[in-house]
Amino acid sequence: MAQAKLESKILTANRLRDGETVYYTAAGAWSPYVTEARVASTPDDIDGLSKSGAAAYAANIVVDVNVIAVVPGRDAKPAHIREVIRASGPTVRADLNKPVVRPQR
Amino acid sequence: MYIYDTFDHTVTRERVAEFSQQVKRRLAGELSEDQFRPLRLMNGLYLQLHAYMLRVAIPYGTLSSVQVHKLADIARKYDRDYGHFTTRQNIQYNWIKLDQVPDLLAELASVEMHANQTSGNCIRNVTADQFAGVAGDEVEDPRIVSEIIRQWSTFHPEFSFLPRKFKIAVTGAPKDRAAIQFHDIGIQIVRNSAGEVGYAVYVGGGMGRTPVVAPLIRAFLPKAEILSYLEAILRVYNRYGRRDNIYKARIKILVRDLGPAEFTRQVEAEWPEIRPSGVNLPAAEEARIEAFFAPPAYEKIAEPVASFVEAKAKDRAFARWVSTNVHPHKIPGYGAVTISLKPIGGIPGDASSAQMHAIADLADTFSLSEVRVTHVQNLVLPNVKQSELFAVWQRLGEIGFADANIGLVTDIIACPGLDYCALANARSIPVAQQLSKRFADLDRQHNIGPLQIKISGCINACGHHHAGHIGILGVDKAGQEFYQITLGGAGDETASIGQLIGPGFAGEDIVGAVDKVVATYIAIRSSTSETFIDAYRRVGAAPFKESLYGRR
Amino acid sequence: MAVVDRNGPLKDAWTRIGEDAPAPKGASVIVSLARLKNEHNSLFSAAGAVGVEVASDVDLADLEPFLARLGVIVVRMATMRDGRVFSTGRLLRERYGYAADLRAVGDFIPDQVLFLLRCGFTSFEVGEKFPVESLKQSVAAYSVWYQKATDRAKSVVELRGENSSRGAPKGSSS
Repeated sequence: MAQAKLESKILTANRLRDGETVYYTAAGAWSPYVTEARVASTPDDIDGLSKSGAAAYAANIVVDVNVIAVVPGRDAKPAHIREVIRASGPTVRADLNKPVVRPQR
Repeated sequence: MYIYDTFDHTVTRERVAEFSQQVKRRLAGELSEDQFRPLRLMNGLYLQLHAYMLRVAIPYGTLSSVQVHKLADIARKYDRDYGHFTTRQNIQYNWIKLDQVPDLLAELASVEMHANQTSGNCIRNVTADQFAGVAGDEVEDPRIVSEIIRQWSTFHPEFSFLPRKFKIAVTGAPKDRAAIQFHDIGIQIVRNSAGEVGYAVYVGGGMGRTPVVAPLIRAFLPKAEILSYLEAILRVYNRYGRRDNIYKARIKILVRDLGPAEFTRQVEAEWPEIRPSGVNLPAAEEARIEAFFAPPAYEKIAEPVASFVEAKAKDRAFARWVSTNVHPHKIPGYGAVTISLKPIGGIPGDASSAQMHAIADLADTFSLSEVRVTHVQNLVLPNVKQSELFAVWQRLGEIGFADANIGLVTDIIACPGLDYCALANARSIPVAQQLSKRFADLDRQHNIGPLQIKISGCINACGHHHAGHIGILGVDKAGQEFYQITLGGAGDETASIGQLIGPGFAGEDIVGAVDKVVATYIAIRSSTSETFIDAYRRVGAAPFKESLYGRR
Repeated sequence: MAVVDRNGPLKDAWTRIGEDAPAPKGASVIVSLARLKNEHNSLFSAAGAVGVEVASDVDLADLEPFLARLGVIVVRMATMRDGRVFSTGRLLRERYGYAADLRAVGDFIPDQVLFLLRCGFTSFEVGEKFPVESLKQSVAAYSVWYQKATDRAKSVVELRGENSSRGAPKGSSS
């Protein structure tokens, strides 16, 4: 096996029912806010995310399940621009952007 | 316009019921995503970055004002108050919820619309010249054969699971406004030496990662034979098109691998076997469909129309808009208005529900209640009296769609790109917006003249970059958005594929690079009447390469 | 494995036999195309009835000599996307005049059975997970079709012709 550099990862998908972009949380739920994603940094942890994703897919809760890289740090900030856009919305419609943090009520 | 009869309504209603059941089975877990995906795609339903996207069919780009109102209502009720008109004359909604799709489809069906076969490996929505029925240069209205093809291709028992998607375009005029040679089948309505109307048939064109200009496989097909001939082409493709590699599964690869001559031989061998099967329409049915496209009741108007001439003389901005956005009409005293969905700095092809309602109202007041969609992502009011053009222009100004830029450098095609699309590698819309702002000055635009910029965010080429005079292809270079430039493409009757000019540019450099290409053209053109594409074809790529990359 | 037709489960008498297995006397056997080509004389004389399983892209000229004597042709869809099967069905029925059972096997889903029926298929070999209950609903999804096909259902075009010759109104009705 090639020695891969270990990055921090999160689990993302789209909810089956409405297609919304969601993230797998530490509580084992799916949140629309990327900052609530559970960050995995060890091989076992990342493997666990993959398994949770596969299970949720098989249970028809989510589709298009992917483990994606995040920038190292405490916040789950996606590393790739595609995932940054998925997390916050189209860059050309600021009015439709989604907060990455759950709004305070 | 075509009006549904009881059978069309039945098919559409049964389709809504069938897809509603499929959605229900999916939500209940009876269908897996792998099983559901081809079913939802055949209904134009994609999963994109942020949500489901629904592509609604606008057959051959023709809409009634009632339908435009409904599209606006749907944008408000089921989406985020806007829609996106596409290069295939369709409309896409970007924020659709799966469990609401059945209701949405039922609303569409109420105005004789659907999302059938707007994706998937089947015969897609047929596209046609947006000036069908009003262009002075057409042999016959392409909407007639387009509607015949729409019905024939709907849930075709044999051709609904093809190796890959299949797109048919029709032009009724020698001036090709439908890019027919970039389609799987391109049909041109022609007249033979005996004066009979028939079809020239091109097969195997396309964009994507292997752009091909379709070869002509039959110079004249009698009108009555179109469906048997299409069936012969599709059968050869369905049986022998490659299914082992999706990048080689389009008919263009089969035509290329067999060679156009051998492909044609196989089609011509299959055709006589199919002709007696009854697939060709009886004359009465053809006449029935044709009758729906009979010219509307035009007024007799003598040209010149004094008020129109006067308005142009008085208002330079209006005169300039007329010069770019009003196409000559076959009936004296009328014009066909292209509504620019390319306001400076805007998102190409997007319209809000309020804008759509306003356009539908304009169609009712000024254009015999008809609207068309162009493959350049604009809308058309096909039947406006010249005496009312000034009023139309003013009202378009009120909704921000009065830019006098049709066919000019800011009339840019852009696919949704990485802002929305799950397949994209780079963003397209921001590049279009920056270019639009860079070239915003209208005097400059009109000085540059006809110039088509087309932007795709990935190699699938939904933004038609291969056919752009200046094509821009977004790529992902180690996680960064990069943009390659192609030059010399054209999607008209002189179809050609743009050539890659050199290494790509980073997002912050692409606008400057395009500006240099345009400046080079201005410097080398033989006169102000030599267009960009003509100049490029005369001098080739060398001066453009030099200005972008320096001497080598 | 079960065999169904448009109405539901069928009693199926056919048995597949391997390349080297002898054909039980008087039985209804399904063999490969290779075996059919090599052993057709002994097969047709020994077995009670003979069928063949072929791939969806079978060269129909290979089958032609046997068509009148075959009791079933089983056409295998490689995947649910394998649309060649529809052309193969139509050609067997419409061009080669094959009249006995035409059976599809493979990865198709209930929603495709309607298309298979229209292209001349009469029976379907399905796996355990195939939702036989939803089949009836799937095949009843459409009451009219724009095209003629093998099943000879009247096309919309033909129905319109009948309507207009009866003097029914032509325009929009709802």
